[in-house]
Amino acid sequence: MLKNKRKLLAGPYLFWAASFIIIPLLMIVYYGLTDKEGGFTLLNLAKITEPENLKALGLAVLLSFVSTVICLLLAYPLAMILSRRNVNQTSFVVLIFILPMWMNFLLRTLAWQNLLEKTGVINSVLKFFHLPGWEIINTPGAIILGMVYNFLPFMVLPIYNVLAKIDKDVISAARDLGAGNMQTFMKIILPLSVPGIISGITMVFVPALTTFVISDLLGGSKILLIGNVIEQEFKQGSNWNVGSGLSLVLMIFIIASMALIAKYDKEGEGTAF
Amino acid sequence: MPNKLIDIIDVSKSFGDNLVLDELNLYIRENEFLTLLGPSGCGKTTLLRILGGFETPDKGKVIFDGKDITSIAPNKRQLNTVFQKYALFTHMTIAENIAFGLKIKNKPQSYINDKIRYALKLVNLEGFEERLPDSLSGGQQQRIAIARAIVNEPKVLLLDEPLGALDLKLRQDMQYELIRLKNELGITFIYVTHDQEEALTMSDTIVVMNQGYIQQIGTPEDIYNEPENAFVADFIGDSNIFDAIMVEDKLVKIVGVNFPCVDTGFGRNKPVDAVIRPEDIDLVKPEEGTLQGIVTHVIFKGVHYEMEVTANNYEWLVHSTDMFPVGTEVGIHVDPFDIQIMKKPESEDEEAVSVEE
Amino acid sequence: MKKILQNIYLTLIIIFLYAPIATLVVLSFNDSKTRSKWGGFTGKWYISLFKDDAIMNALYTTLIIALLSALIATVIGTAASLGIQAMHRRYRTFMMGVTNIPMLNADIVTGISLMLLFVACRFTMGFSTILMAHITFNIPYVILSVMPKLRQTNKHTYEAAMDLGASPVYAFFKVVFPDILPGVLSGFLLAFTMSLDDFVITHFTKGPGVDTLSTKIYSEVRKGIRPEMYALSTIMFVSVLLLLILINMNPSGKGHDKARAEKTMSNRRRFGRVLMTRVVPAVLTIVVIAGGFFYASRTNISGKEQVVVYNWGEYLDPQVIKMFEEETGISVVYEEYETNEIMYPKIQSGAIAYDVVCPSDYMIQRMIENDLLAEINWDNIPNIKNMDETYMKQSQQFDPGNKYSVPYCWGTVGILYNKTMVDEPIDSWSVLWDEKYKDNILMQDSVRDAFAVALKYLGYSLNSTDLDELNEARNLLIEQKPLVQAYVVDQVRDKMIGNEAAIGVIYSGEAIYTQWENPDLEYVIPKEGSNVWIDSWVIPKNAPNKENAEKFINFVCRPDIALMNFEFITYSTPNKAARALIEDPDIRNSEIAFPSSEQLADCETFRFLGDKNDAVYNELWREVKSK
Repeated sequence: MLKNKRKLLAGPYLFWAASFIIIPLLMIVYYGLTDKEGGFTLLNLAKITEPENLKALGLAVLLSFVSTVICLLLAYPLAMILSRRNVNQTSFVVLIFILPMWMNFLLRTLAWQNLLEKTGVINSVLKFFHLPGWEIINTPGAIILGMVYNFLPFMVLPIYNVLAKIDKDVISAARDLGAGNMQTFMKIILPLSVPGIISGITMVFVPALTTFVISDLLGGSKILLIGNVIEQEFKQGSNWNVGSGLSLVLMIFIIASMALIAKYDKEGEGTAF
Repeated sequence: MPNKLIDIIDVSKSFGDNLVLDELNLYIRENEFLTLLGPSGCGKTTLLRILGGFETPDKGKVIFDGKDITSIAPNKRQLNTVFQKYALFTHMTIAENIAFGLKIKNKPQSYINDKIRYALKLVNLEGFEERLPDSLSGGQQQRIAIARAIVNEPKVLLLDEPLGALDLKLRQDMQYELIRLKNELGITFIYVTHDQEEALTMSDTIVVMNQGYIQQIGTPEDIYNEPENAFVADFIGDSNIFDAIMVEDKLVKIVGVNFPCVDTGFGRNKPVDAVIRPEDIDLVKPEEGTLQGIVTHVIFKGVHYEMEVTANNYEWLVHSTDMFPVGTEVGIHVDPFDIQIMKKPESEDEEAVSVEE
Repeated sequence: MKKILQNIYLTLIIIFLYAPIATLVVLSFNDSKTRSKWGGFTGKWYISLFKDDAIMNALYTTLIIALLSALIATVIGTAASLGIQAMHRRYRTFMMGVTNIPMLNADIVTGISLMLLFVACRFTMGFSTILMAHITFNIPYVILSVMPKLRQTNKHTYEAAMDLGASPVYAFFKVVFPDILPGVLSGFLLAFTMSLDDFVITHFTKGPGVDTLSTKIYSEVRKGIRPEMYALSTIMFVSVLLLLILINMNPSGKGHDKARAEKTMSNRRRFGRVLMTRVVPAVLTIVVIAGGFFYASRTNISGKEQVVVYNWGEYLDPQVIKMFEEETGISVVYEEYETNEIMYPKIQSGAIAYDVVCPSDYMIQRMIENDLLAEINWDNIPNIKNMDETYMKQSQQFDPGNKYSVPYCWGTVGILYNKTMVDEPIDSWSVLWDEKYKDNILMQDSVRDAFAVALKYLGYSLNSTDLDELNEARNLLIEQKPLVQAYVVDQVRDKMIGNEAAIGVIYSGEAIYTQWENPDLEYVIPKEGSNVWIDSWVIPKNAPNKENAEKFINFVCRPDIALMNFEFITYSTPNKAARALIEDPDIRNSEIAFPSSEQLADCETFRFLGDKNDAVYNELWREVKSK
């Protein structure tokens, strides 16, 4: 009886979620499947097959894939090191990665322009030491760097959380049973951290795939990602139907990543926070 | 007497400012069931982890089978450990857990399969091969942890409070199971616990530790009947421990009354600790006792009654099958050989500290 | 050794994470207005910051939205967690699935979906829509912080409390709530931070006159961020940093194991206490004070007359707004846009009602043709007499009969080049296709401007609708793409000042400013001809305050005001009375600001080419951009 009453507490949220999560998504579906006059059409979805859009999507997939891999490669050792440090530093670790968020995301990304430009900080330092300059600004490389920079915390934190939860005795047990460092890592630590890795991958891949700000700021507007195309359909081209149709295509990737999470992280161990 | 298998020589270990083990010496024989017993923080687990190779001592050596293994990695040692909270690999099936060590040693699959079957039979869990650890009860997980360790045929099995997380009945069953296993396998068990009853039930040898020092080494009988100091006496079983004066050989003054005893060689009028086990106190008619007191509490404990008697302003704990109601005046009698006389500790180091469990 | 390597790695990562932040802190002390030039150390931005109403308003809005959305999300989310916890497993999984949607969904999709919802429900985009959007994406953070704590709590303590006679509510607050409090608090702080840092969702759900710091910064990006912004960010960052250091400070060093264990326990407790006694009140005070200011500035508006102005970024002296408000008592709600193409759909959709807008020539024609503009009542604009007749005549090209528009600024599009970085005198668009300047060319990032360059270079009209000509222009632009360093709008200015590029396509108005900052720069109208443009004030048909709009337009036509604006934005003024007031003869007679008629001989004004041709342009431009 008590339990039944307690369930009611979820009522406001249920209402909120229905109004502001479910219905808006249905609105996108509706817009995506209708034309300007409101008639049913699949043309908006078919827009993705146009070479420019396909290229924007392909490039977005490629860049976000590369960023995700780099994030994973950077974050895993980092999370390993951090998880072996003093246990009650957890909040400290989280803070290191959350703290930059108090400096606005756009400003942080913009600051990379200053660092990377031809006459920017990094190149000035290189020049001072008579080293060849690093011409990365306005290239896909700069976009990848921006993605890695902005989304690295979302890879580190879930992996760190999973690693920190692994019982030290389990690792001792593996060593005790004859496993060397490499074997312990491959057979025990890595499989046990899969939920964190998967969660990290989706938390990096999805925002990287859909960003339009980073490509705008660091790509010199020369490189169009699918996010830029959608943003322009809504904010400039004013064709909301096409924009929604392209968003629907994008949602396929998002649904795929949700399915991945559901499969590998049932217990929600790999949450970032 | 079998040979020494492990020799621990002058081992010290500290964490930061905290000295956990101080120049500890101990040897362990083949086929021995040796228990490290002591309160938490006494250094027993650290000693076990040094044996397992998970900690390196700051000073001293560990000799195993004639070889110095002090700085050898855990995966290169012929010892296996059963961890306190089992430490099963939750992402593997039971069979994969058990096969883990064997696969690393590249044993053939048929050999591994035989071993799995054998080990599961040994721990009475046949047919559990494909289950996942999380679907097992605590006792079952414990037995899998043991099976996982013993398939590697270690010469020594280290057990770190393995029964701590189990309930009483299961714990008692597992105690017999462990004794049976040890006898069937014919290997050395080094067992860490803070539970004196567990230690007394299973061990060949008990090592009582406190604050990084060994307090006493001996058979369960020795430890129980002849505690060497007040710490051991207090830690093992219930006892009455008194500040006493050794008047002369075979005569001790407890709470102001002279009791005949069997101990000699303490000198004359020397302060000592006197230990009397509650079951060794006989309650008799007032006039027949060495001193007189009044029963203040009675509790029925099943096999016996537990009573408190106030005599000469001291509380005496008494276990007896005869019941004396509260308020009864009784006499206290102790047979001379039931009084255990111990030297007072002389230095800080030897100071036995009473422990709250 | 291993430890050293680990430390090196950690240090590198931290440098990577904090290098941009250090850069911003340094920039906040830069005396020069552009970020690409170090002009010496100064603290002046920290002072002028507090005088800047626009930034302060954005800050208050940001904090209020962050606090309110975090608070509401915490209440709804905590209640929801309790409810979900009590649910049957199947429903629980479903609810958690729904909760995960905003977390996993792309920000852009969430933002768009909410925008579609608000438009469909005819909500006016503004403060409340941003708030609702932020609550929506904040609730999941709270739920995901509270749920694990809830799972850890011992159910029996709650029952024990009720067994001892506590009512369910009392039992909850006395027994369960303290247990989950850390989760609730971290959920709150997380939500607060996320709301603070959000841009994308706000970008899609905001309305006129409301800006958070993020959207304010985004609208400034193209123009160059005002240094006050760096100062503000530095203040925010440093205060949070100090707060955290305060919380995490551990006064004594090492101790015995036991003592340490106790210490960590008490540390944790202290953390909670500090959080409760210091952080929360601190945040609350900040926000309440901020809220007070915000409310005060809001109440100024409500109840009184107002006018909603929608203008290009940095296209009006803020002082002028103040003077207008003081003189007329009408408060100004001011909103900025970056391109005509961004502005147009907002007006067209009618979701947001503006009173005064400042589009360019061809866009005005388009708005007239689509019946989006109201006719101006000239009786209310006596100051029109100050206007140079030439420009009124020129306006007839897109506004026949001068019914709808009042000229505000005009200028040309030309090439800005760095004399030290080019070898030959520059007088032709052809330099933009010169291999020599690969990666040293800045192109305009808007359809018509980019095509105008190519069409003019080819000798066609920049209003061409001939498909062959357009395709030729497209191919030319594609051919140019490898040479282009970046496609930018107003950023040409900063980049050219900072010597980032040799050649850029720029509006004449910007050229004057860049020459002040960097004397090596020179502006030229290419010999093939170019675009001459006029930006004019218009009043949308759905303007709610048409009379105030006319008062505003009349005000900016006053010679002294027009002069103020000219000096602030350096774009040529069509106001001949204002031009006469310019003191410096070099500027009054500047060829850049006021080119002669022969210089303008081959220049054309953009015309609206119809929706269909616009679509063609857009399509071709996208082909260029995605190549």
